[in-house]
Amino acid sequence: MRPIGEPVQLNWSRLTTIATVLVVIGVLGVILGLVAGQPQRVWLTWLVDLLFFMGIAQAGVVWSTGFYLTQGRWAGSTHYRLAECFWRFLPLALILFFGVVIGRDYIFPWIAHPVTNKIKAHWLSAPFLLTRDFIAIAIMVFLSWIFIGYSRAREAVIWHHQPDTIEMPPVPIRRLAPTLAICYAVAYTLFAYDLISSLSPQWHSTLFGWWYFATIYWGAICVMSFTAVQMRRLLPSVNIFTRPRVMHDLGKLVFAFSVFWMYLTYAQYLVIWYGDIPTETFFIVGRCWHHPWMFLTWMVPVLLWVVPFTGLMGVLPKKTPKILGTIALLGIIGVWDLNYILIVPSLSPDKLPLGWIELCITAGFLGAFIICAIPGLKVLAEVAVSDGLETSNEAAQH
Amino acid sequence: MAAAVDQRNHQLTYIDVDRTAQRVMAPGGLKYWLWVGFCAFLVAVGGSYWTRQIYEGLGVTGLGQAAMWTVYITNFVFWVGIAHSGTLISAILYLFRTRWRTAVYRCAETMTLFAVLTAGLFPIIHLGRPWFFYWLCPYPNERYLQPDFRSPLTWDFFAISTYLTTSALFLFMGLIPDIANQRDVAVGWRKKFYTILACGWQGSDVQWRNFSMGYLLLAGLATPLVLSVHSVVSWDFAMMQTPGMHSTIFAPYFVAGAIFSGCALVLTLLIPMRKMLQIEDLVTIWNLDNLSKVVLLTSLVVTYSYATEIFMVWYGQDPIELATFHQRFFGAQGYLGLGMLFCNCLVPLLLFSPSVRTNTVWLFVISIFVNIGMWIERFVLIAGSLSTATMPSQWKFYVPRATEVLITVGSFGWFLMNFSLFAKFLPIVSMTELKEGIGWLRKSQRNSYPYRKAA
Amino acid sequence: MSSDIELVGVFTTDDQCAHAVEQLHHVRILGFHTFAPFPSEKIAEAVDEVREWGKSPVRKWVLAGGITGVITAIVLTVGTSWEWNLNTGGRPIASIAPYIVIMFELMILFGVMGAINSFFILSGLPSFELAPGYRTRFGADRFGLVVRVAEGDDAKIETLMREAGAEDVVREAA
Repeated sequence: MRPIGEPVQLNWSRLTTIATVLVVIGVLGVILGLVAGQPQRVWLTWLVDLLFFMGIAQAGVVWSTGFYLTQGRWAGSTHYRLAECFWRFLPLALILFFGVVIGRDYIFPWIAHPVTNKIKAHWLSAPFLLTRDFIAIAIMVFLSWIFIGYSRAREAVIWHHQPDTIEMPPVPIRRLAPTLAICYAVAYTLFAYDLISSLSPQWHSTLFGWWYFATIYWGAICVMSFTAVQMRRLLPSVNIFTRPRVMHDLGKLVFAFSVFWMYLTYAQYLVIWYGDIPTETFFIVGRCWHHPWMFLTWMVPVLLWVVPFTGLMGVLPKKTPKILGTIALLGIIGVWDLNYILIVPSLSPDKLPLGWIELCITAGFLGAFIICAIPGLKVLAEVAVSDGLETSNEAAQH
Repeated sequence: MAAAVDQRNHQLTYIDVDRTAQRVMAPGGLKYWLWVGFCAFLVAVGGSYWTRQIYEGLGVTGLGQAAMWTVYITNFVFWVGIAHSGTLISAILYLFRTRWRTAVYRCAETMTLFAVLTAGLFPIIHLGRPWFFYWLCPYPNERYLQPDFRSPLTWDFFAISTYLTTSALFLFMGLIPDIANQRDVAVGWRKKFYTILACGWQGSDVQWRNFSMGYLLLAGLATPLVLSVHSVVSWDFAMMQTPGMHSTIFAPYFVAGAIFSGCALVLTLLIPMRKMLQIEDLVTIWNLDNLSKVVLLTSLVVTYSYATEIFMVWYGQDPIELATFHQRFFGAQGYLGLGMLFCNCLVPLLLFSPSVRTNTVWLFVISIFVNIGMWIERFVLIAGSLSTATMPSQWKFYVPRATEVLITVGSFGWFLMNFSLFAKFLPIVSMTELKEGIGWLRKSQRNSYPYRKAA
Repeated sequence: MSSDIELVGVFTTDDQCAHAVEQLHHVRILGFHTFAPFPSEKIAEAVDEVREWGKSPVRKWVLAGGITGVITAIVLTVGTSWEWNLNTGGRPIASIAPYIVIMFELMILFGVMGAINSFFILSGLPSFELAPGYRTRFGADRFGLVVRVAEGDDAKIETLMREAGAEDVVREAA
């Protein structure tokens, strides 16, 4: 770690270069994939990555609203900026959604084979579905943009640094935070049913939407924890991420929401197992008990619950950055895997398409995500150091 | 008028906390004993009708071929649901170090214990022949008969027993230091009573060390019970293939609904209680405001669950499920379904307004609506779905008879009687934790509290 | 006959009591105990520094209870299912998915029993004799520090307590 007194200077240009290379790889992956006659793999991977990265960016903003609603002020402004630093991917996600529009024939099976029920066919029609989802993303982007503005305002920053009061957050945030949280639940329920569940149009589960947005919410805290661990390592040693309590709090959130995810997963699984109704069970059986999807499917509960639960049960592992960072990274991979096994087997039940096309496109999305996150990471770096200095000054005074 | 504490000039002290609690536990006057007598009368009425039901059989009720589960199971689910908010407030918010919880959690925990005791009566009442209750227990026998552990009803037995045990022990453990405090100042039979219950507690360093760890771990163990117990109760219905009941969202939806109805009942009890017992300086508007925010949040979750269920029925386009939901809101008893939506979804929206959340009259009225709405919800779900579960020629809409109604009334009397007795003989606010967080209590009393109006 | 006496210091805040404990640590006196009306973190930290007793062993009992609960549930559910192997609904005789509920509930129940039992046993409860030096005000609004010292050292310790802020210091026979 760097010594106290040195200014906050991280090698952002190196990170930008790496991200740009990844984006180029992604673009090449799309072009070559289409040229190689694999349009379904290209567009399905596009959908998987769009939902994953957009979900992480959006859920991060919703974590910030969660901190405001619970009046959590355990790390000054830092945990707010940590949650918000990926938000710039959202406007890009709105543009990238057009990839789903372009590739819709390869993604939605009910375009070529419409469902027989007229009412359902009207709901599952490409223009209606794609328009409503686009509008939902646009609303979320707009609300997030307004919210971020208020969260960075002076009033909010002053409030962040008054943990010993019972005052509520500034009025605009009091209005916007619950609105954004409610819209997140509704929008991501819609995406879960429209963009994932509709790929197997006979299947339905009332918990699916809630389960999906809870999964993405957990994925976001994993990304936040991983980012915090990296910042702790790279920033001057006075940064607030070096406080064991901050790592402990992040670790507790990763642990608790992992348990909550497992509870929702079990609740959904048990009802379907018990009812044993074929129109419900086929979705689970095809993924959990049949090759070639079995291994990837069972990796999901291992990475999203077994590893975090056993690895983060004690106090010490939560405070150990290497352990927390590793478990968070495995969790992130697990959430991507979850998106993959939810979407792709619906159109490719007997074949596991996981190769250079998927890796290149995912690398491209990752690069774009990092480029969008860099401005937020710069703000986070400054705030983490200044909050760290402030808390060490307060400790010295006492 | 609030207790003898002048908020402008006097800083709240530990002794003020003790004196307020001791004043609450002073021997009850005529009004108190009339109230307890009235509750006991309700218990007696309910008990007499139960006795008649045991003697004459379940035929004296309105239970029938279509709807075999109706008011009794509705009451069971309702009371278990009420219990969960108490554990949420006392255990989960303890783990989150939530400051506003301190003044209200003992009342909520007490409510939990008596709600679970009340809930536990109903499966036994519903048995008709309650002496066969022990068949649910896995005991060695020569008939090679064992409970079916694959059945949600067996899961229920284990979940409710665990929850009752945990709630009782958690409440008792938290009470010990406060009872010890009362032991030191009480006289007569009360001194003996508190001496036995206090178990010799003296607040030494060894005792506090073990208490802190034990209480923290109990809170950690009680927390998953909040999720698991009502999920198990919801699976009594979700595991069936009955339209309107077989739904994966039931577990978290029921948990949210439980916290919703429970927090509303906490408000219903706390608002008159703080006035009658003159503890407004301990249970402040700050506490009520935050409690009503939990009510609002869970109302939104319940609304989301209703919307998802209705959407999924429409999306699935299964004719039987469509008919079931049509009956639920527009059928012979559709007024109940619509009433449920009004009470649970629309009325709590008023809590978005800060002035409503800080007005005790509004809060009391809204909490009553929520309690009614949540009872109706369980009834609509259980009796309503079962009434139309089979062939239309066998549909029969359930109408309760005097037996079920009066046993239900008796259960409310049982709960209120136990709660009232507890409040007079044991500390209904946690003196220990209030002293520990006295700084926050002083802050919540100051006039600078945002949008604070006169209580 | 013992020549030790007990000094009972009465403090109005937990800060003062914790400070007094720290001073006792400096003069290497370990024979003391404190009383408080609520679990004060400051007193707990000061005492922990002196006694170095780490975390309470209650948690080990809870862990043992939880593990016992899970094993008991597995034996109960799978064992009784094999004994009365009636096929219900076409499900496996020993179906793990539903049995997880029973395992979970018994884990919690046995864990809770472990916590309560260990709390009582390790705290020496129930106890029907008052600890030496206990005052009823220690359960209300005062903090107590009871130190057992040899008769010649009492003046020094009394001075130490008063300098830490003791409202009153009383001598009692040990």
